[in-house]
Amino acid sequence: MKIVFRIVLVAALVALGIWLWTVLFPNPEKVIRQRLTELARIASFSSNESDLARLAAARSLAGFFSTNVEFQVELPELARRDSMDRNEITQAAFAVRSRAGGLKVKFPDINVTVAPDKQSAVADLTVEANISGERDPMVQEMKFTLQKIDGRWLITRVETVRTLS
Amino acid sequence: MAQNQAGQSNARLKQPWLPRWVRVAVIGRNPKATLVRVAVLIVTSFVVFKFILLPAHVEGISMLPNYKDRSWNLVNRFAYLWHEPRRGDVVGIRFSRAVTNTSAGIHQAANWLEPPHVMLLKRIVGLPGETVAFVDGHVLINGEVLDEPYEKYACDWNLPPKELGPDEYFVVGDNRSMSWEEHTFGRAQRSQIVGKAIL
Repeated sequence: MKIVFRIVLVAALVALGIWLWTVLFPNPEKVIRQRLTELARIASFSSNESDLARLAAARSLAGFFSTNVEFQVELPELARRDSMDRNEITQAAFAVRSRAGGLKVKFPDINVTVAPDKQSAVADLTVEANISGERDPMVQEMKFTLQKIDGRWLITRVETVRTLS
Repeated sequence: MAQNQAGQSNARLKQPWLPRWVRVAVIGRNPKATLVRVAVLIVTSFVVFKFILLPAHVEGISMLPNYKDRSWNLVNRFAYLWHEPRRGDVVGIRFSRAVTNTSAGIHQAANWLEPPHVMLLKRIVGLPGETVAFVDGHVLINGEVLDEPYEKYACDWNLPPKELGPDEYFVVGDNRSMSWEEHTFGRAQRSQIVGKAIL
């Protein structure tokens, strides 16, 4: 009985140790997934958002990006290849939130590849955007390049991917 | 008297809460065996519908009239275990790449235990190594017109020939009455094909 108790105790301590390790030193892939999920949550908004909430959300959204972000977006209604700083991202996000009636963003399938030095990563994902008042969601495959800057994973490059070439 | 009353209340407590025939119909003669059966059914359903037969909600008109908007289908991930995809098969195509090519040259296969949540539903018309073109709405495979009994709407697409690589399939929707600019179609890598639509 004493042996069984000791085995159970050791197993519980090992499990606790593993759990603590994952909490204190989280896997970069997991951290990136969590950040992207959080980004999708903040990018979503409803029609009854106040101006103050809009501005706070737009600033918060810009915080997910590095100081200079490269955009390479090719969509039927929008094509741009340029770079934006955080202020421009904040302004663009605020403008979108002011104009659109509501938006629900989801990143349903995220594949993260972390570089061996664990300082950069690429996230291939599907963006599913439900625009208020529109029947079908907009679905687009995208690729985000991220870098670890001051301990935070920030998006440095955003590009659309053609699913079928 | 008091003992008699206590006996009556015990008897009332012991009365089954449902008639016997209802209990037999709902939970069977052996409740433990029924519980095991229910557990097995739940686990089997979870495994089957999470990893093998993926329920797919069709959204959009690109597969009309064969697959209607807002209809349901199932994508069989085991369909191509023993043979490669065939011409005419309707397949689910993953959006997020199964293989990621980064600037650092890293290749990562998608986790088989994480099936995609969003897929394109398209029909295979071109097989690896073939040349696919559209001329006056007809699909040409290596210069010969492809017979497509599933295509019901008239079409006037004209697209130059595309040669498929050794691992590429040409996929397109059945509804070619829409303009080709609005229609998602083209070359899909084998690793992007999730499975075959079974309905």
